Amino acid sequence: MSARGFFNDSMAVARNEYRQFIRNRSAILISLVVLPLFFTVSLGAGQGGAGTTFSPTAHIPIAWVDEDNTLASYRFWQSLSTSPDFRDLIQGYTEQGALAQLGTKRIYAVIVVPNGFQNDLDTGTQARIILYTDDSEPGVSDQIQATLTTYTQNFNPEVQVQPYETELQRQSVAGVAIVAKGATFAGFNIGLTTVLAIVQIFAGFYEIAGGISKEREDGTYARLLVSPISIGSIMLGKTLFDVVLTIIRTFTVLGISVYGYGARPNTDILTLLALSLIVSLITMGLGFVVASLKLGQRAVVIIEFFLILFLFAFSGLIIDSNLLVGVSQVISNLLPFSYAFDALKRTVLLGRPLPTLTFDLEYMIGSIVLLYAIAFVVLHFSRERLIT
Amino acid sequence: MMNFMRDTMAITTKELKQLRRDPVSLVLTIVFPILLIGIFIVIVSAFRATTHNVPVVIADLDGSPASNALIDKITESNYVHVTQYVQTEDQAYQEVANGQVIGAIVIPPGFGSALANGNAFVIVSTDNSKLTSSQFVNTAVSQSAQDLVTQATQQGGVSFGLKVAPIEVITRPMSGRPPTGDPILPGFLGMIAILGAFDDIVNAICRERERGTFPRLTLSPVSLFAVYSGKMFATVVLTILRTALMLIIFRLYGLAIRGNLVLIFITTILIAMFTLSVGLTFSTRIRGSATLTVLEIAMTFPLFSLAGTTTSPLLLAPGGSAIANSLPWTYGNDALRRLIYLGSGFNAIAGDLLILFVSSMILLPVAILLSKRTM
Repeated sequence: MSARGFFNDSMAVARNEYRQFIRNRSAILISLVVLPLFFTVSLGAGQGGAGTTFSPTAHIPIAWVDEDNTLASYRFWQSLSTSPDFRDLIQGYTEQGALAQLGTKRIYAVIVVPNGFQNDLDTGTQARIILYTDDSEPGVSDQIQATLTTYTQNFNPEVQVQPYETELQRQSVAGVAIVAKGATFAGFNIGLTTVLAIVQIFAGFYEIAGGISKEREDGTYARLLVSPISIGSIMLGKTLFDVVLTIIRTFTVLGISVYGYGARPNTDILTLLALSLIVSLITMGLGFVVASLKLGQRAVVIIEFFLILFLFAFSGLIIDSNLLVGVSQVISNLLPFSYAFDALKRTVLLGRPLPTLTFDLEYMIGSIVLLYAIAFVVLHFSRERLIT
Repeated sequence: MMNFMRDTMAITTKELKQLRRDPVSLVLTIVFPILLIGIFIVIVSAFRATTHNVPVVIADLDGSPASNALIDKITESNYVHVTQYVQTEDQAYQEVANGQVIGAIVIPPGFGSALANGNAFVIVSTDNSKLTSSQFVNTAVSQSAQDLVTQATQQGGVSFGLKVAPIEVITRPMSGRPPTGDPILPGFLGMIAILGAFDDIVNAICRERERGTFPRLTLSPVSLFAVYSGKMFATVVLTILRTALMLIIFRLYGLAIRGNLVLIFITTILIAMFTLSVGLTFSTRIRGSATLTVLEIAMTFPLFSLAGTTTSPLLLAPGGSAIANSLPWTYGNDALRRLIYLGSGFNAIAGDLLILFVSSMILLPVAILLSKRTM
């Protein structure tokens, strides 16, 4: 078959995909609206966008128990209660009374300044503050402790108004300041990399693997196979159509992230689009491989769920892949998605030009070729079996 | 009433028989919890590893005994692994920019003398696209600096210019668990109840619709309410099995369950009932089982962060916190955490259970009404 014929067949398959797509309202809704919108909005709402500065501990009700009742303890209370981090410090509790309320959702922590607090400070002994926390709330205990510690490190009981703590002072460790350098990111830049990748994987996999399974269950796939269209044309046609959907989804996620949550990608739109397409093509390749296994739609969706969970654990989405150990790290190093997420972070967050990520690009493109080749071979043989 | 109960039980029996005959769904009921816990273990193992070996370079521009002592402390750290010592600040930053290392630690000239005056500083440049690793680098340098100062103070009685004595914060978690205790396992139990119930509804309604058995069921002399009640009761049975399996896994993992087991089961059942009500409402509009499953999975992932599974709603941004507080699942997860970690009694979680129950009771009639309209 000539290249022209092959391409014409592919375009015919792509047109067929398009016609089927526009006739299916729920497919349009899920692929182009629900997935990009839902993931972006939910993550954006959770993290807060750029310009949304909020202190996680600011509005957590915390009981303040002062057993010392000295000038030093008063000034420490003053430094906390006037800070932007502890807006809901509640006075008037005894230690026992406060502890009785802990765990009832009325208060989530109790700060106790014990007797002898000022005396310890005056004599140069290490003073102590006791923090009781409701540790049934994930992360709350650590967050309150970390924030409170920053206020204790530079507290000076000899002055009425504690000096404004710059970021540098806050990181000081008993006389040695840690000057942190390195790119800092606008509020939703990190969220953008995660959402973009997840949305493309979620949608791409379902559209390819789920689409072929549906056609198989409906009986239309067998008819497609007995038509004079090659497997290669079918794969290319479906890929071309999904590339169009990928582009639309990329712009949807980008639009909501930038205009809704103030993300400021540190790269150009073409790089972002290229990486989005690479993630999508890896997913489509995997989708074709899964589709070649002749699984039902339900099985495909279940595999998709496991795939996403798998990627959350091993591909650097939740924890940096270099921190994984043993078999987990081997798995992570083999996954092309790990390289794709890494490339997304390096370009979107750090502004690295895409061509400089040579190894990542080679690995991802190699994976796409390999996955498509495997799918082609398996689909080709299954076609022969179907026809005979 | 007797007829209603009999019809409900008949539907429940039918659902459980169908599940028994469907090995894929049966396996899923068991695989979901194990897979989730497996992923949790992978992530926790990575965080809790005794050594992290995050690669860093050091540029010591001071060369004093103090800077050497700091380097010794950093190399002893379990967080980082010093891969190279470079001569200049720029070389160090370049290594980070090239992606060769995660962090560059620069000890500036005059560090030793500045340390004695209490105004020393160290520059730490990190590749912040590696979110966790960059934090480990900062922690390693902070701890090393702290150790250096403490050691020098103890040995030489030097105060390094500190004007006031430091204050120590002693944290006492009310559950009595160690500070490294796992904060998210109860939330995973909640997610299992949610995922399981979503899967049940796909089996219960959509697949019956696709096979054409649902219209036959509605044409039988059984009320639609009894049909839905029967399906819900089947989910209750399955939720009890899933909860029991999860609790066994928790115990094997070493988690102490302090609360009343019956209350834990009641909570997961109510979470499942609410999820089922949501699923039934969706299924009146979305007919295909695969489409509904995709939609439900898509909904489930944001719930990990918004329904208090991995992060407390208290720590979310105001928008996220508002969404979290409007989701009944958040109250279910909250109740589970209080039961499992704090050993709270019925009174402490009654409000949470009531929210779940009332939400289900509001949604269920809506689902039945919509279902009747779309028949």
